[in-house]
Amino acid sequence: MNSYKILMIEDETNICNFMKMIFETNGYQILFANNGKDGKTMFFSHCPDLVILDLGLPDIDGLEIIKDIREKSEAPIIVLSARTDEHDKVEALDLGANDYVTKPFGTDELLARVRVTIRNNRFQGIGRSARGEFRLDDMVIEYDARRIIISGKEIKLTQTEYNIVELLSIYAGKVLTYAEIIKKIWGYSDFGSIKKLQVNMANIRKKFGEKPGEYRYIFNELGVGYRMNDNEKW
Amino acid sequence: MDKYCKYLKNMIKVIGISGVFFAGCLIIEEYFNAGTLVPAIMVLAVFLVSRVTDGFVYGIMASMISVLALNFAFAFPYFAFNFSIPENIISAVIMLIITIMTSALTAQLKRQEKVRIESAREKMRGNLLRAVSHDLRTPLTTIYGSSSAIVDNCEKINSEQLLQLATGIRDDAQWLMGMVENILSITRIDNGGVKITKTSTVLEELIDSVLIKFRKRYPNTVVNVSIPDEFISIPMDAVLIEQVLMNILENAVLHAEGMTKADLKVYVENDKAVFEISDDGCGIEKERLHGIFKDYFEVKEKPVDNQKRSMGIGLAVCASIIKAHNGTITAYNMKDGGCCFKFYLDMEVNGSEQL
Repeated sequence: MNSYKILMIEDETNICNFMKMIFETNGYQILFANNGKDGKTMFFSHCPDLVILDLGLPDIDGLEIIKDIREKSEAPIIVLSARTDEHDKVEALDLGANDYVTKPFGTDELLARVRVTIRNNRFQGIGRSARGEFRLDDMVIEYDARRIIISGKEIKLTQTEYNIVELLSIYAGKVLTYAEIIKKIWGYSDFGSIKKLQVNMANIRKKFGEKPGEYRYIFNELGVGYRMNDNEKW
Repeated sequence: MDKYCKYLKNMIKVIGISGVFFAGCLIIEEYFNAGTLVPAIMVLAVFLVSRVTDGFVYGIMASMISVLALNFAFAFPYFAFNFSIPENIISAVIMLIITIMTSALTAQLKRQEKVRIESAREKMRGNLLRAVSHDLRTPLTTIYGSSSAIVDNCEKINSEQLLQLATGIRDDAQWLMGMVENILSITRIDNGGVKITKTSTVLEELIDSVLIKFRKRYPNTVVNVSIPDEFISIPMDAVLIEQVLMNILENAVLHAEGMTKADLKVYVENDKAVFEISDDGCGIEKERLHGIFKDYFEVKEKPVDNQKRSMGIGLAVCASIIKAHNGTITAYNMKDGGCCFKFYLDMEVNGSEQL
């Protein structure tokens, strides 16, 4: 058997039931833990390829579980969160979660995130940098030449703008929080950092020739960060 | 810090009012030589102080000042204290009584006002709850009924019927999701009077986010966008404002009959960002236009069933969200058909940015 193994830490039996059906019909193997304590034990005994974690567990705070897992393992984690707490989302991502899905969610959305996260985690850093370029629809990023070409035309970006696009493309499909991007681009963060990033992003989009509602390359996650398109349908 | 500020403010009121009235007394005494007016004027001062300050302490303080001032400046012996004369002591007692009674009255008034606001809010909450529960019942009936039908007849049902039932469940669940989002928004605002947290949000990112969500739900409706070219960032609770835009657009799709497209326009006018959402549908009836933002909270003794899911909670939620942002929202019919919703938000004020 060569299917990916997913561990789902979730206390609602009904959610687990339909998850089981969806993942099994899509060729995944899925395990369930209905509290945080079991979740941690099962994680270390089964070594799953991916963890889907509900932040609102009855016994342990979900963020604690992310911390514990990250201490020993780089296995990807997708967080399920309720809408009202963007803070939790940002915190979970900054602690090392790979992605989040907001409840209530569509199953196609969750499956897409799972696919991207597993793929990203396995090929991160190897696949793309070895190929030396990143392709997305009509956009090509040539890493060695530090060039971005859209429909055969080179887009003139500043150093910072290029660095931002490159960073997002390396993690395509994953949300990068504002704080994460700022740290990797400027190395430090101060009072106006987020604004600086947003202004740069606005310029990038202008140069890409995109209009609101039609952003195809870089998606917004309002109040959280940015995500490069990965040719997945959300 | 806040407490200290309040204390200082009250002290300024006490000293200011007493001082002004005392000066007034001195002038009257000087020019009109009408000593009989003086006690009446000082009584007025004490009354005013008790009325505008909080609690008894400041009123009593003001009455003490007045008694001393009267005793010092206007009672025999002039410009010296003398408490041995009975009429001075009596006037002091009278002042004190006036103070205490006024303060008690003021406190009572304030308490009553609070009770009134509380009960109004309670009533609104009750109406909301009643209306929401009623609206929730219909989709729940579908969901419960369809899923029971599947569970009870799982062997007899064919795949076409199954699909039909499941689609019904999905549609109504989707409607419920929208409803729950709206209720959550209201509780987020009404969170014990806690102010919403505004973060600077880039206008084009907000619009993009709304359009993507909207297109996912209503792929066939065209929305024309026009926003300024320059970089604009507006302090807001982005999730809530997103909800406002979604609700208004959705309202147009569901209730503006004959609409073919919607226009979303944003521009800056005198330190305010103006959002205009218009459609080319049938417009809103005059009678409904008046209370369109608050109908949902008003008492509906008999919920009207035939106007299916009415305008719903959406527009009422919009109004509360905009109000919590200190903005204004209006709706009107346009001359050449269709209606327009318009709301204003304050633009960036310096320094309140959050990291």
